[in-house]
Amino acid sequence: MSELASPQGRSEPAGLERGYRRLLACYPRAYRRQNGEEILAVLLACARNGQQRPGLAESADLIKGAMRLRLWPAPRPPRTVQAAAWLMCAGVTAQLAYLIINVATAGSVGSAYARQYPLWAAAAVHHAVTISVVRHEVGGVIGIGVCLLLAWALVRGRNLARFAFAAVIGLDWWAMYQAAGQGATQHAQADMTAAAVTWLLILPAMVLLFFPASSRYYRPKPRVDNPVAPGLQH
Amino acid sequence: MGVRAMQEATYLILTALAAGSQHGYGIIADVAGISGDRVRLLPGTLYTALDRLRADGLIAVDREEIVDSRLRRYYRLTPEGEQRLAEEAARLHANATAALRRLRPELTGGVA
Repeated sequence: MSELASPQGRSEPAGLERGYRRLLACYPRAYRRQNGEEILAVLLACARNGQQRPGLAESADLIKGAMRLRLWPAPRPPRTVQAAAWLMCAGVTAQLAYLIINVATAGSVGSAYARQYPLWAAAAVHHAVTISVVRHEVGGVIGIGVCLLLAWALVRGRNLARFAFAAVIGLDWWAMYQAAGQGATQHAQADMTAAAVTWLLILPAMVLLFFPASSRYYRPKPRVDNPVAPGLQH
Repeated sequence: MGVRAMQEATYLILTALAAGSQHGYGIIADVAGISGDRVRLLPGTLYTALDRLRADGLIAVDREEIVDSRLRRYYRLTPEGEQRLAEEAARLHANATAALRRLRPELTGGVA
């Protein structure tokens, strides 16, 4: 946008409009249906004379706006829910770090197996390590996916996600309790440490989600002032 | 701590709407004028802010028009938006007065 003169009476290049429509496709469909044509009109009004395609700054700005709406929709969640979502993301990061460490240290796990079970053949040790690593990786990736999905639903005000999150935490706690009962605190210290770190992040997130401010956010309320305009519905 | 301080872009958008309803392009032009061309909102930023302000009940859609076969939607301040803008303006004014009183006591008649 290099000038703010009146845009009336100007004919816009078709390529520019096509470019803007492509960028607007990044926005959520419902938002696009409601505001797409309006934003397009403003984008074209703000374009420089003779501009053929969207500029870098406005493209980045539109993509940023679209991502923000997808990740952080309006109405904005209260701070308790925002903090819970950030804690869940931190938990996912910790879990991701653990999965990387798990693969990187597979060799030392093999040595530990060999020391613990000296009668095992090398192939048996290798097999046991492979199963252990794959089991942890698959379980970890599923856990990360579930956590991200729940975080996504929670910032969108889905009340059911709160209880699903509590159920997942309960299951995780039960699995950890079982593992500790089988001596995991002795022979799987890295696993238990990773689980403890993740818990330190995830548990406060769950508490925050049941604060009164969060509960108010999860109460169903109709959105007022929601005009529907014909527009970009592709 | 009271209400959180408003972001400058939000403050300028509400200020632009304080004079009457405006459409998106009008707001961008007005904000540039109010800020002495220092703040030039890009459409993506403007509509993210408008969406949030509507959800917070500070602005509302006033009317829609079709101009040159393009949709033009006008926004206006709600009573809640007017109140929030007045509070923020008073807060900024008090801060500016305090700073100026300390920097130039001769202009404001004493040290705070």
